[in-house]
Amino acid sequence: MSYRNLFYLLNFGLLASFGVSYVLDFKTEWRGYQNQYFAMAADSLEKDGKHAEAEKMRHQWPEIKQIINKDLDRIDRCTTCHVGMDEYSNPTMKNDFTKNPFKAHPNVAEINGKHPFQKYGCTVCHQGQGMATTVAGAHGRVRNWEQPLLEGQMIQGACARCHDNFEHLKGAEVAAKGKHLFYEHGCQGCHSVRGVGGVISVDLKDIADKPLERIAGYNFSRVKYKGNLLSQDDWTRAHWIMGHLENDPMQVTPNDPMAKFNAEPIAPSGMPNWTEEDATGKREITEEDAEAITTWLMSMSPETKIPREYYVSGPAASEPKLAGAAHGKFVFEKYGCAGCHGLHGSKGRRNFNAKGAGQEMETAKQDEWGDMDKGREPTLVDVVGTYTHEELVKKISNGVKSVDIVKFNPSGPTPPLYMPTWKDKISPAELDDLAAYLMSIAKKQDVGF
Amino acid sequence: MPKLPTLEELKKEVIDSQIWRSVFRGGVWKDTPRDRSAHIIGNVWLHLHPVRVRKRALEWTYTWGLGGISFALFMILTVTGVLLMFYYRPTIDLAYRDIKDLEYAITLGKLMRNMHRWAAQAMVVGVIAHMVSVFLRGAYKKPREFNWSIGVLLLTLTLFLSFTGYLLPWDQLAIWAVTVGTNMAGATPLLGNEGPMGNLVGAHINNDVRFVLLGGTMVGENTLLRFYVMHCVAVPLVVGILLILHFWRIRKDSFSAAPYEPNEDKVEVWPHLVKREYIAAAACLLVMFIWSIWMNAPLEVIANPNVTPNPSKAPWYFVGLQELLVYFDPWIAGVVMPGLIIVGLMAIPYIDTNPKGVGYYAWSERKFANTGFMLGVTMWFVLIAIGYWFRGPNFFWYWPWESWLMIKAAPPLTWNVFGPNATWRLWCTPNLSAFPLWLGIPLVGGAGLASLVLPKLIQKELDGIKANLGVLGGLALIAVIMKLSPLHVSLVKGAWLIVFGWMHFYFGFLLPQRHIRALDWARYLVTMALVLSTTAVLLKMCARLAFDIKYVITIPALSMNI
Amino acid sequence: MTDEPKPQPTNPAVAPAKPVAAVPAALAKPISRADFLWTGWAMLAAFFGASAAATARFMFPNVIYEPSQKFNAGPAKGYDIGVSTKWLSEQRVWIIRNEKGIYALWARCTHLGCTPNWWGDQNRFKCPCHGSNYTIEGDVIAGPAPRPLWRAKVEISTKGDLIIDKAVLEDIPGKRENAPYFLTLA
Repeated sequence: MSYRNLFYLLNFGLLASFGVSYVLDFKTEWRGYQNQYFAMAADSLEKDGKHAEAEKMRHQWPEIKQIINKDLDRIDRCTTCHVGMDEYSNPTMKNDFTKNPFKAHPNVAEINGKHPFQKYGCTVCHQGQGMATTVAGAHGRVRNWEQPLLEGQMIQGACARCHDNFEHLKGAEVAAKGKHLFYEHGCQGCHSVRGVGGVISVDLKDIADKPLERIAGYNFSRVKYKGNLLSQDDWTRAHWIMGHLENDPMQVTPNDPMAKFNAEPIAPSGMPNWTEEDATGKREITEEDAEAITTWLMSMSPETKIPREYYVSGPAASEPKLAGAAHGKFVFEKYGCAGCHGLHGSKGRRNFNAKGAGQEMETAKQDEWGDMDKGREPTLVDVVGTYTHEELVKKISNGVKSVDIVKFNPSGPTPPLYMPTWKDKISPAELDDLAAYLMSIAKKQDVGF
Repeated sequence: MPKLPTLEELKKEVIDSQIWRSVFRGGVWKDTPRDRSAHIIGNVWLHLHPVRVRKRALEWTYTWGLGGISFALFMILTVTGVLLMFYYRPTIDLAYRDIKDLEYAITLGKLMRNMHRWAAQAMVVGVIAHMVSVFLRGAYKKPREFNWSIGVLLLTLTLFLSFTGYLLPWDQLAIWAVTVGTNMAGATPLLGNEGPMGNLVGAHINNDVRFVLLGGTMVGENTLLRFYVMHCVAVPLVVGILLILHFWRIRKDSFSAAPYEPNEDKVEVWPHLVKREYIAAAACLLVMFIWSIWMNAPLEVIANPNVTPNPSKAPWYFVGLQELLVYFDPWIAGVVMPGLIIVGLMAIPYIDTNPKGVGYYAWSERKFANTGFMLGVTMWFVLIAIGYWFRGPNFFWYWPWESWLMIKAAPPLTWNVFGPNATWRLWCTPNLSAFPLWLGIPLVGGAGLASLVLPKLIQKELDGIKANLGVLGGLALIAVIMKLSPLHVSLVKGAWLIVFGWMHFYFGFLLPQRHIRALDWARYLVTMALVLSTTAVLLKMCARLAFDIKYVITIPALSMNI
Repeated sequence: MTDEPKPQPTNPAVAPAKPVAAVPAALAKPISRADFLWTGWAMLAAFFGASAAATARFMFPNVIYEPSQKFNAGPAKGYDIGVSTKWLSEQRVWIIRNEKGIYALWARCTHLGCTPNWWGDQNRFKCPCHGSNYTIEGDVIAGPAPRPLWRAKVEISTKGDLIIDKAVLEDIPGKRENAPYFLTLA
């Protein structure tokens, strides 16, 4: 090819590629949505006979719209596509459109009244990437954004970030239910939340902000949701939390009980299998419950920059005035004893490789699985009767170290769960009532005289 | 109605106006040789060219235009870089947000960022290719030695520019690449707080060379500002000065190193060279446009100093160094080796006394130089390939077809050969050494000295076939003995030993013995030092891969590990 | 020779060095052009040298705005046996309790400063950058790290809280198992 032709060709190529890149830059999703919205809005104005206003609406030039929330240092460009929710484009903030991104915000009068969009922005509740102007980017479905849009009822988790009184708040019922379930099932026995709770497992104070890097991919790859493995696009924190309630944690975090990778065996996750069904075929924590708990936990994000005026304090913590065994029952729930011993102490949960009820085999050889996964924490209703009141108080006070638990397979891993030392945490009065409660639920021992 | 002027008349009118004539001097363009010369001489931008140039220097296949292409990319980088500066603020609160703005809200912002990123990558490739091509054509030999050294400095600065630019988006990729990079500086002997003998001269975390680079004890606000200033002002300034020097020298050294032929044709630079330069530059720009439209520059999650991505990899051109870091202590892999590479490259024209092969590819006339240089270049790229494609989570070895979701068993325990806490036992436990230092220092030092001087001391040329077969046979014998011994060393490990051991023998002994034993002592020693430090890398890799040796010698008191 | 003034009877060691002070005859031998230029160049060189040194010094900041290395890690009894990653995100420290007491490991790989991850399933810390592995004690068991993980100073406040100081570090076995790098708990 002659230099002259090459000269023409290259210069044409440069102009053409400049043209292509400019066109690509211009043909963004948001321009399309905005033009579509203007046309639709103009049509409905036309129907109302407001011809002049319709013309004005139709001939608007698309632009990036943004809400700057200075308090939280957030910039939200959501209204660039969701024009119906932009106060300046749609002053009434109401319209008849049914599809996103055009439709107006549901329940707008109340929500905009209490949380003016122009002040708070969108991502403060909905999450997602406010700066982004593409659909995937803004909804946080991109690899470099770890707070995707909170979908469906999950958004209620956002209420609980600022509203300590969310349990009495209209519209935060699911989060309130989640919190209730969390304490009812004794999760706080092992997990600490906002500084209160057990230390056997991970502190959940910032679980909603946990860097995905810390949940290594190979962990996610075993999480099933509604029977299917998650696609990589769904590797989100919400699914990680839910994954523990919707799967057997022993499968999510199998660790190394047979010492394949290590010199010493390491027990799988000690978290109870919440998908286990009881005699009537019911799960202790149903799928709906799991979603509620996750919703509440999605509020566990220590935002340090939330200004004081955003907070709504909750009711002062108060304990019911109870005495005796009734108070003991309250104490049992307060410290999350159900986490290991089951609701009302009715059934000890799985404790890998602990020797106890439920195991048919006597013991296993070194490299044998045997009944290791059938080990259980003590079922209180069965065992409490063998203790006196004083012995019980002492047992709870001192706890049982994990190394002191009798192993099913002596060469197997140390059981993951153990009885913490409670004497520093439970006051003597509480302890007394707790023991009384436990004695009251104990099955009467048939000593066979 | 007055008659409208024709286009030709209009053009003449404009060109003859006082304004035009004052800006563009010279009379009517008649395309005479005089005009063409005047075009070059009379133009400040073009006058770095000679007026006439030998015809054979213009062949595309002679230089592939690699130097020119690198410069064109540098210009693209300058323009896109200046544009990006209009929107970018170097603070840790704003930097990442500004990159997001470029991506989402600024007209053509994404294109500019992509182009800047990709042109930077292309420039690294271009400059390395330029160096290899100049080397293979022997174009660094007298009188061009100094210009080669400037070129090596420019290559180093290109990499440094790339590295400093890497931090600016303030994402995870950025801070971890820079954390690792600057901690290497912290391992500098004497000057770094974690380097050998650093503690003897009082280097602390807040007074060493790393502290200056970071402007603090960790990658933070000061670091971002420092890297920004270096990236946008300080280093480009130095590069610009060196570039002028580089170009001026090329012109003074008669532009091309191609050997003269009798009655050689010369042609005018305008238009013959200038049109080629234009074509190359325009093609570069076009490729950058297409590349930037087609692929987006990577951007990860915002920087988090407490979470390291897994695996965490350096930019591709440094992945080779990162791979070296697996085998060597940071002060060797991160300071000594890069230093040796730069100094060694700069020294090449002064140690290569072979007068042959100037300006043309000469494999048979420059066997040793070409083999040695290409061994180094190949190793660099092989290490990059290993680090880039064969390393997965926790920097473990994953074959490209293996899923990164698979968990790998922990690597075997490593041991040291010579050091304190000697156990007098081969294959000992970690943190212990097999043999004591008083044995190791003379032994390793002696072996090093012997391999340094032996090739020159043996005056008679060895029989290549016999020597190779002898060494291969010896290594094979050792491999078999190890297999049969109580240690049961697998044959795969034996194969590692044979391959790496033979390579060390061939490149580090046989070739020098054959080709450079006639050099004077000074040049000989420098050459051997460079060759041996290359083959020592092979030996150490062999020691780690086949025998799980962590250090050959370790002196914890001095933070000195080899 | 005759023009030359007679040497004064002085200390012979001093005499030859003092011709200028001795007599105005020194003026007869003025500073030569070469000598003068030499001094000039030397001064210029000294100026450049001093400026370079001062510029280098300029690059060392005297004040830096970095968070304090000391922090309060809450009540000591809030830690149970095992590795606690509670403070990893904020302070880059693991707090580890064993049968005897508590120690704090600085979560910085001694190789090139990446943050390793705790792999409970394999009972070790693994660094994602160059593949170093550490035991729960902090000892290197694989990879290129040259020395064990650093342990930070751990103290207990009158309230029973752990006070951890990352500016005071130790990693030598034998020393690191003692106070203040190890807090013995009953």
